[in-house]
Amino acid sequence: MKIVGMGLICSAGQGTAGLEKALQQGWKAPGSVATPHIPGGSAPAYLVDFANVADKTLLKKIRRSDAVSKMSVLAAADALVNSGIRDITQKKLGIILATAFGPHVTTFNFLDDILDHGDAAVSPTTFSNSVHNAAASYIAMSLNIKGPTMTITQFQFSFQSGLQLAQAWLDQGRCDYVLAGAVDQYGDVLGYVADHKLTTAKDGRIRPFAFERAGQVPGEGAAFFLLSNKQEGNVFCSVDAIHTQDDPDQDRTVDITVIDADGMLPDESAYLPLLSKDIPTTAYSPLFGSMMVGSAFNMAAGALMLQQQKRYAAPVQDNPQGIRLLTETGSGPVASIRCLGLDCYRQRSVLYLRR
Amino acid sequence: MVITGIGVISAAGNNAAETLQCFKRGTRNAGPVTLFPTILRSPVFEVKHLPAGYFMEGLRTLSLALVAVDQALQEARLSDLSRLRVGVCMGTTVASQLNDLSFYRSYREKGSAPMTAIDRFLTGNLAEYIARRTGARGPQASVVNACSSGTDAIGIALSWLKSGLCDIAIAGGSDELNHVPYCGFNSLGIANPGLCAPFDRDRKGLNLGEGAGVLVMETRESARKRGAAADLMLAGYGSSSDAYHLTAPSPEGVGLKAALAAALEEARIEPSAVGFVNAHGTGTHDNDQVEGRTLAEVFGPGLKMVSTKGLTGHTLGAAGGIEAVFTALGLREGWIPASAGFQTRDEAIPLEPVREATAITGSYAVSTSLAFGGTNAAIVIGREAGS
Repeated sequence: MKIVGMGLICSAGQGTAGLEKALQQGWKAPGSVATPHIPGGSAPAYLVDFANVADKTLLKKIRRSDAVSKMSVLAAADALVNSGIRDITQKKLGIILATAFGPHVTTFNFLDDILDHGDAAVSPTTFSNSVHNAAASYIAMSLNIKGPTMTITQFQFSFQSGLQLAQAWLDQGRCDYVLAGAVDQYGDVLGYVADHKLTTAKDGRIRPFAFERAGQVPGEGAAFFLLSNKQEGNVFCSVDAIHTQDDPDQDRTVDITVIDADGMLPDESAYLPLLSKDIPTTAYSPLFGSMMVGSAFNMAAGALMLQQQKRYAAPVQDNPQGIRLLTETGSGPVASIRCLGLDCYRQRSVLYLRR
Repeated sequence: MVITGIGVISAAGNNAAETLQCFKRGTRNAGPVTLFPTILRSPVFEVKHLPAGYFMEGLRTLSLALVAVDQALQEARLSDLSRLRVGVCMGTTVASQLNDLSFYRSYREKGSAPMTAIDRFLTGNLAEYIARRTGARGPQASVVNACSSGTDAIGIALSWLKSGLCDIAIAGGSDELNHVPYCGFNSLGIANPGLCAPFDRDRKGLNLGEGAGVLVMETRESARKRGAAADLMLAGYGSSSDAYHLTAPSPEGVGLKAALAAALEEARIEPSAVGFVNAHGTGTHDNDQVEGRTLAEVFGPGLKMVSTKGLTGHTLGAAGGIEAVFTALGLREGWIPASAGFQTRDEAIPLEPVREATAITGSYAVSTSLAFGGTNAAIVIGREAGS
């Protein structure tokens, strides 16, 4: 399965150009967001600003949708355009959207309706947009895609589950192309929960290689990949293998390991025994924030490196454990990348990308 | 792929045997909401007596799911899953949302809220929880495709099995009756003030329900190795999007036609081979009109069709799983129940559902689901040769 188009939106920017610029620039302090129920009244967060979207045509088309749907549609549309494949929406094209929390802000807006106005006076529009598959449906409607349209949600590896399904659909001929991606949104309730249950990096600097004290900083965004078994379009790389729980390919030699560490686990030191002294490790969560679907953004960075034959340094390099890091940005051969994630049960997900 | 176990719980019964009794009697176990306080009056189909040992505070969707999963695993004669390659794919709507009103009220009013609701939510993802509980170590997915979630979950499991990601799959759907969607469907103006009447000329909307329906599916090779008996198979699945409207189906049934065509193609059968269709049939004006017309166009006006939502209510993310089980039971038992609530033919719909318990012939049956967002899904279940 190949990545033949890519689109994303996050605090660092939009599209592959935005990602490339962010990777090139390195870490920048995030903005802050008002947090009514967290001491101090504000906290760092990596948030998407729709005012920075250059072409607002799609945003106007889906003006009644919420931020989850807007981010999803923008990233999905970018992936199709980025592929350069003509009339792609007229082909056998499916959609798979993965999310951990879905449109929770809209759900809370609907709960506000119930609490403020009572059961009989709630907004049908808010309810419709609070349904988890609204974002995928907006993608289908706004881009006129009539293939299978699926939304899956898990706290552990939902993006990887989506990729597994995409591979199956392509191999079985259910689709010739799959637009697979992930989205999650920041909201003050989840910000409160994250601050309550995890350690927040108050300076906004996620330290992915500090492991036991990485510190989370909430992020949001969407990343979509146009996938195909065909060699066409804007090929970034192949997704060679997708594993969850076990990694039968763990002895495979790769050029770079990208880890999903982002402070979303209280202790991320379980990554340590999985890292090799011979393979440089990097993590890009400090560019887009902490997200349960952050692996999609790390995979995007990996795909870009393989296409460009360029290595992007880890944006934050605090390294108390002395692991071998990817410390410098520069051109050079990159043939394969391992993207590694862990969940709170210390189970792993592994994506193998190959040039 | 063969079906080696089924499990079901709904207002129609706590298992398959009770459900069949309810279907024979045509009993409609609907009434006012008792699970939460509300001023709304649309009747609902609640599960009144959760089997002993399954109650979990604040996790009713999981409780219902586990009832059905345990039944299905028992019928499949599966107990220790640790050495098998088992996937879990479950559809839901409620279990995916952090819609705990008491938590949110406390957050709003006091600026703080107990984390118990959060812990429940974070550990209560449907597929993840069932996988941990059963020891299944294969792929996992919680499907949240609104009202087609259960059917889509079964279709995904079929893809997993075909691609070799697992040898056995636990698949279906589960949803509880919940305050939030109850208010939501009322706000959309499609909650029936009386009892629902799918496909009836005078239908006035849906009744919500709750429950779970689960299939254990596996490759023939896996079933053969285990010595597991199978009289049914999942023969095909199709899914398609209308790309039309967030809450209304395409008037031409574009997506449903495509989903049916894909499912029949995968099953390698013609529409004439289908003995009956368990229709989505919610009792809303738009769904029933579009679905009825499309089914008539694909299968012809002589199709035997039933909507079971008059006996269970609309169980949202569970509906596809529950109705897959009902479809399997129809094939196994050789009859389908009367379409409860139907009285008067709608001249705008070129076929009508069965009015009484009806014997069926043929080796295949179809179950359809139409969902919010314009997603459509269909599965084909067949009798195993020689069964």
